[in-house]
Amino acid sequence: MAAVPGAPERRRIVAMGGGGFSVAPGDPALDRFVLDVAEVQRPRICLLATASGDPEAQIARFHRAYRDLECDPVHLPLFRLGANPVDLRRLLLGQHVIYVGGGSMLNLLAVWRAHSVDAILREAWERGIVLCGISAGSMCWFGAGVTSSFGRPRVVEGLGLVEASNSVHWSSEPGRRTCFREAIHAGTIGPGYGVDDGTGLMFAGTALVEAVSARDGAGAWWVEEAGGQASEWELTATRLSAPASTTPLSIAELRGARERRLRPNRLGGRAAGARD
Amino acid sequence: MLTRLPTSRAGAAGSPRRQIVAFGGGGFSMEPGNPLMDDYVLGLAPREHPRVCFLPTASGDADHYVVRFYRRFGAGCCEASHVSLFRRDEGVVDFHEHLLTRDIVYVGGGSVVSLLGTWRAHGLDATLRKAWEAGVILCGLSAGSLCWFRYGVSAFHGAPQAVRGLGLLPWSNCVHFDGEGSRGDAYRGLLREGMCPGYAAEDGAALHFVGERLSRVVASRPAARAYRMRGVEGRVRRRALGATYLGAPLAATG
Repeated sequence: MAAVPGAPERRRIVAMGGGGFSVAPGDPALDRFVLDVAEVQRPRICLLATASGDPEAQIARFHRAYRDLECDPVHLPLFRLGANPVDLRRLLLGQHVIYVGGGSMLNLLAVWRAHSVDAILREAWERGIVLCGISAGSMCWFGAGVTSSFGRPRVVEGLGLVEASNSVHWSSEPGRRTCFREAIHAGTIGPGYGVDDGTGLMFAGTALVEAVSARDGAGAWWVEEAGGQASEWELTATRLSAPASTTPLSIAELRGARERRLRPNRLGGRAAGARD
Repeated sequence: MLTRLPTSRAGAAGSPRRQIVAFGGGGFSMEPGNPLMDDYVLGLAPREHPRVCFLPTASGDADHYVVRFYRRFGAGCCEASHVSLFRRDEGVVDFHEHLLTRDIVYVGGGSVVSLLGTWRAHGLDATLRKAWEAGVILCGLSAGSLCWFRYGVSAFHGAPQAVRGLGLLPWSNCVHFDGEGSRGDAYRGLLREGMCPGYAAEDGAALHFVGERLSRVVASRPAARAYRMRGVEGRVRRRALGATYLGAPLAATG
């Protein structure tokens, strides 16, 4: 298998609030960022488009986005294996990056569990394979997320690799934000991260080490119950370089930035005060 | 169109008639231009324009599949609808109530493992059982056939394997049956190992159950067959079932 068993801090997750290659006009800088996190010359990256039922359009967009980057992209369609049986465990554990597309978080987890893919992904994480994704593909790694699989937003349990909660499309879908805040206030779910489209959070082990953004004005927030209400603290996000650049982000540079950015509380963000 | 059969929702005792039509393979998505199998199911419904709801879950709610369903069932012959569990912005919203008021629920093919996982997450397994008990006719092909049984033989995931279905029918089921081919071999192996008895249907054959009992085998192709299969003391007994070819002149059907 490609990845060596990793120390806990080698376990990496990049959780993105939305955007990326799936939605026009896309965030090429985020697409490239998840490759850089793998820290290998030519990473193997696999798309799991399970959350939206493996639609051809999303799979095509993935290949269009990654075919010209220095990587080997494949996709694993759990709905379309009929003519092409594969060893799921072998394929997934042979990757450097596993990218989970958006869609229904509820369906995503149900289908993974039915195929026992949830256990394989935990193993991949423990081995140091980078797990990443947008929207449902972000929330799935956390203790809980906000799904709209039932129509209106509702909290649902995730895989819990990172104990905190996560909500996505923070500024673009206010209904989700309201649901997330109410659930945290009520104690139904633990505190967690609200993340905008175009923004990603990188975790090493279960600790947030970096927030990155591919869009001006897009950010991420830590939300927890404080003073009798759900309060939000904005996290400092590194603006990723423009997509025109062909130079991959320097990992050493990123690491340096990470170390420089002291974490005032355990979250790595400056307190911006409670909103609303 | 087939002559309407003398069936209705009410069974002999006045309780709803529970019906499942499990295709070995066939219908609009596998036999374009051959309406026989779908027409047979429509003919079981108690009204001229049956309410037919499509569940394309096993395909991940593939758009092209939904389009083909409406092309077949939407054009005047039925009141057609579909439920999408992956794209909640389309299709019917309150699907539990909706399914219970249909005449026919038609389940498409794809991955039976993904199908069952998704249904369970939405509580659709319980709703479909209720619908069946209320007299809604359940039908489908491939994954949409396997799902109704206690066990299905799925070849979707590499080597054929047994998948536990909803269990409305206390039998095992093998679709796209190919006799001595890999599916047939796998099914016989599973029966020898103690899997419950059941049925194997070739493409073009459908098993029509009333209650838990097989009532009739129908075929949309003259040569399509279905078999009763059972493991007995480490051996497999296979019995060919008489099938009614739906394309024969009416006087000859029977």
